[in-house]
Amino acid sequence: MNLAGPQLESVLADVRRGMIPAHVYGDPEIFALERDRLFARSWVFLAHESEVPDPGDYVVRRVLADSFIVVRDESGAVRVMFNMCLHRGMQVCRAEMGNASHFRCPYHAWTYRNDGRLAGLPFHAEAYGGEDGFPRQDQALLPAPSMDIHNGLIFISLDPDAPPLRDYLGDFAFYLDFYTRQSPAGVELRGPQRWRIKANWKIGAENFAGDSYHTPHTHASVVDIGLFREPKASKRKEGALYVAGPGAGTTYKLPPGGDFAGQLRYVGYPDAMIPAMAETWTAGQRALIGESGFMVSAATLFPNLSLVHNWPQIDDSGTVVPFISLRQWQPVSERETEVLSWFAVDAAAPAEFKRDSYKAYLMCFGSSGMFEQDDVENWVSITEMAAGSMARRLNLNSRMGLNSAGQPIKAPLATFAGPGVAYQGFGEFNQRHWLRQWSDHLEREPAVRAVVNLGGPR
Amino acid sequence: MTAAKPKPLPYTDPAHQAAHQFLVEEAALLDAADYPGWLDLLCEDIRYLMPVRVTTARGAGFDSLADMGHFDEDMYALRKRVQRLATDHAWTEDPPSRTRHFITNIRTFPNGRGELRVESSLLLFRSRGDTREPDLVSAGRTDLLRETAAGLRLARREILVDEAVLRTQNLAVFL
Repeated sequence: MNLAGPQLESVLADVRRGMIPAHVYGDPEIFALERDRLFARSWVFLAHESEVPDPGDYVVRRVLADSFIVVRDESGAVRVMFNMCLHRGMQVCRAEMGNASHFRCPYHAWTYRNDGRLAGLPFHAEAYGGEDGFPRQDQALLPAPSMDIHNGLIFISLDPDAPPLRDYLGDFAFYLDFYTRQSPAGVELRGPQRWRIKANWKIGAENFAGDSYHTPHTHASVVDIGLFREPKASKRKEGALYVAGPGAGTTYKLPPGGDFAGQLRYVGYPDAMIPAMAETWTAGQRALIGESGFMVSAATLFPNLSLVHNWPQIDDSGTVVPFISLRQWQPVSERETEVLSWFAVDAAAPAEFKRDSYKAYLMCFGSSGMFEQDDVENWVSITEMAAGSMARRLNLNSRMGLNSAGQPIKAPLATFAGPGVAYQGFGEFNQRHWLRQWSDHLEREPAVRAVVNLGGPR
Repeated sequence: MTAAKPKPLPYTDPAHQAAHQFLVEEAALLDAADYPGWLDLLCEDIRYLMPVRVTTARGAGFDSLADMGHFDEDMYALRKRVQRLATDHAWTEDPPSRTRHFITNIRTFPNGRGELRVESSLLLFRSRGDTREPDLVSAGRTDLLRETAAGLRLARREILVDEAVLRTQNLAVFL
């Protein structure tokens, strides 16, 4: 049972004026729309190529309830296929990672090569009368309707007519490089840590997109203990928020007077890594750091992939080391989310940097991270309240940065070297940008998809 | 021919009894949220490790990640965590969780270098607030206990959690 048209229109109209009906964070009807209209179309991150480096390597990942095998086949190509046997629907792979030349269904032993093609089934002649009853040729596990890769990041869309991934990423690709392309070697991902939180998936996505306003208070404890110097309010409000393509993110303002290499050293990158960044990034990307003086921090690529880059102190002598994490807010229900949190590091980085950056990550983010702990406490509490009756009487104010007429209270930054629109200081421009995309998806009727009939009557 | 599996010390062995008592006393400190007291039980060169468990096929040869943990801590990192919980801004534990560390199935093996390798089973019950379902974390632990002038101290802990996907909102608790 979905929300009726006028009710949905009212919800989306409120969201578009920056007033969010609180129940959207705990409403099963909204969740059904998100499943049918958003996740049935949007590009969704599944895995990184570094997780499946060799032929036969696979990981199994989901888009909501749909399980997909992400595998590197014998030719070295990455394939993504629906993890459901063509015969009776069993999952042909029930591990979450490994290496396999074939996937054999445990039910009746239909067997597929690691490129998805059906290799064999028992008693083909006796059971089916051979090729006439069931033609084995060209049968394969259903491929993801669309699959594309950028910087090694493997995305799929359940929409066979999805635009090319690079077109979708648009101007956000500029920012994605800071996290996933620091050298020609690209990044390598470790993990993910996986855990379930009783929170609506949208809250984390919006938070990472642009909530610099929460940092000084929610994360006051990490400043108290001297783990990370930047989140205090006086520093946080100097950062810029940017909106670019389907993404949005936050930055920290770097100390005045630094050049490109000096600013990278300030956040803890060793000299050994800086030349590769200088060569790999464009003049505009270098200028964001070296001239505009901003360093990327948290970001979200719509709908549910977030990224974070921070630089805590990892020992008593005050050594500052940066780390990168990619994380996915995998919806389980309107009240529950599985978090997948990866540590990411430049594949060409020195071994000691990888070790130290991993330590920095574990202390700050992920299942035990000292930042993330307090975030989740907030999000669980919001979700619990959003599921009740009173939440249907409250529209949450998400208009920070706008005056009563809907105009920005300050001009966009004129000297911001990155694409898109950027504002310095606090504001909810980014969350509104995320919610506009969400609204656009929710008002589009779901497409009717052709059903695949393998070996049916002719 | 495979080497014989090492046998645990008899339960009547004083070394086993000392190890058992150490783990029970440690659990009492954790359940009382006496984290500074807990830190005093750790060696300065502690390694506190909790690998990510994964679901793999039988015969894959591994069921945890070698290069990714939920914890991989040294003394600096553990001290920071304890310092954080003592601030006025550690919201996730304010109000605090009610926890109970159930420690059982303790087996003690001398490692031949003056240390005890102690295996135990842990069930952590964690309750927060008044409306939420409680969380359970089940794990096996392999500890290295070292005899020091101050008594037994924990030199290493490896926590082998029994879930691939944790069902607790975070690890703002020690296991």
